[in-house]
Amino acid sequence: MPAYRNIRLCSKDCMCLYVCPTGATNTENSIIDEAKCIPGCMACVDACPSGAISMIPGKYPPQQPKTEAVVAAQRALALSKVRQEQIAQAVAASTNSAATKQFARAVAKSNRLMAEDLLRESRYMLPQSDEVRNLLETMLENATPDFPKDAAELLLSQLHKTT
Amino acid sequence: MRKIKCSICGYVYDKPVGIQGKGVASGTKWEDIPDDFKCPRCTAPKSVFKPLEEAEVSPSAVTKIDNIPALSLKELSAGEVSVICSSLAKGCEKQRLLIASEAFNRLSDYFKSKTSVESGKTLDTVAKMLGNDIAEGFSIAKATAQNDMDKGALRSLVWSEKVSAMLETLLVRFAEEGDVMLENNNIYVCDICGFVFVDQTPVGICPVCKVPNFKILEMERK
Repeated sequence: MPAYRNIRLCSKDCMCLYVCPTGATNTENSIIDEAKCIPGCMACVDACPSGAISMIPGKYPPQQPKTEAVVAAQRALALSKVRQEQIAQAVAASTNSAATKQFARAVAKSNRLMAEDLLRESRYMLPQSDEVRNLLETMLENATPDFPKDAAELLLSQLHKTT
Repeated sequence: MRKIKCSICGYVYDKPVGIQGKGVASGTKWEDIPDDFKCPRCTAPKSVFKPLEEAEVSPSAVTKIDNIPALSLKELSAGEVSVICSSLAKGCEKQRLLIASEAFNRLSDYFKSKTSVESGKTLDTVAKMLGNDIAEGFSIAKATAQNDMDKGALRSLVWSEKVSAMLETLLVRFAEEGDVMLENNNIYVCDICGFVFVDQTPVGICPVCKVPNFKILEMERK
């Protein structure tokens, strides 16, 4: 898989320009050219003195196992956060006060982030996992006419299975 | 003297030192610090500070360990699926899978459009639900995660519990002060853990998840 440069860490020492056999690292916008990058080459990753370049993995192992009890407890809390997000959003949508709206939006966002994290720790962390594939397949099986089938199908075809 | 610790970010008040630059002189007794005191690290109110010994133990997680109610797994609701999909969109973005990320966001939006809120709910409802999460949900979930030795789940619970505690203090303040709370203040939300704080300037790192502050975003007023 291709190399990726973290622009916040890049200190412009330019070693990647010297070692890259294809010129993939030499771009105007600093984004490494995926089309030229040789998968697994690693030359720029090893040469970079500021540790700004890393290889994006192509394969991932299965997720860490979770017990039913942990999943149930995480989901119970996540569901509470989901409802709090929905209420805060409804408040933000209905208030006439700009400050109240701002605060309600912050409460909604915070709850969404907590719910995401809690559900990540209940078997839905890795996009490539079997659990996510099952979820996508279930969505397609139960699809109503307005469901964006193409999005679920794209994900099932593009995300590699875990190793 | 007992040391006093912020239960949200872990800041410890040291009486002989006071708080430099915040108007708390060295030697000031904790009791003599005004009630509108804010934690110099995370802006939490004075009420969340606990004596150090007390703050170190998590009694709820220990005492309830034999008393975990059996929760059953039911089908995921549209709201949960929406959240799972927005989380997976972020996961794909981290892996630089930008087309997949966009597809997960579309699914997230679709399931979000299938959710509804009962009318008559207010921010007071949110505060009550938060209080319930803090009193029960987190205790049960932390005991379960400890029991099953799931450090990943425990990590998410420790973060969310702190974020919830801070949100609750802000909702209580907002119920009392209303929009005045936000006069001359900004609202910042950590884009990683959801920590919210109300202040004039951002903090250096997130007091909960420790991410650097370029990932702590100001919530615009519009």
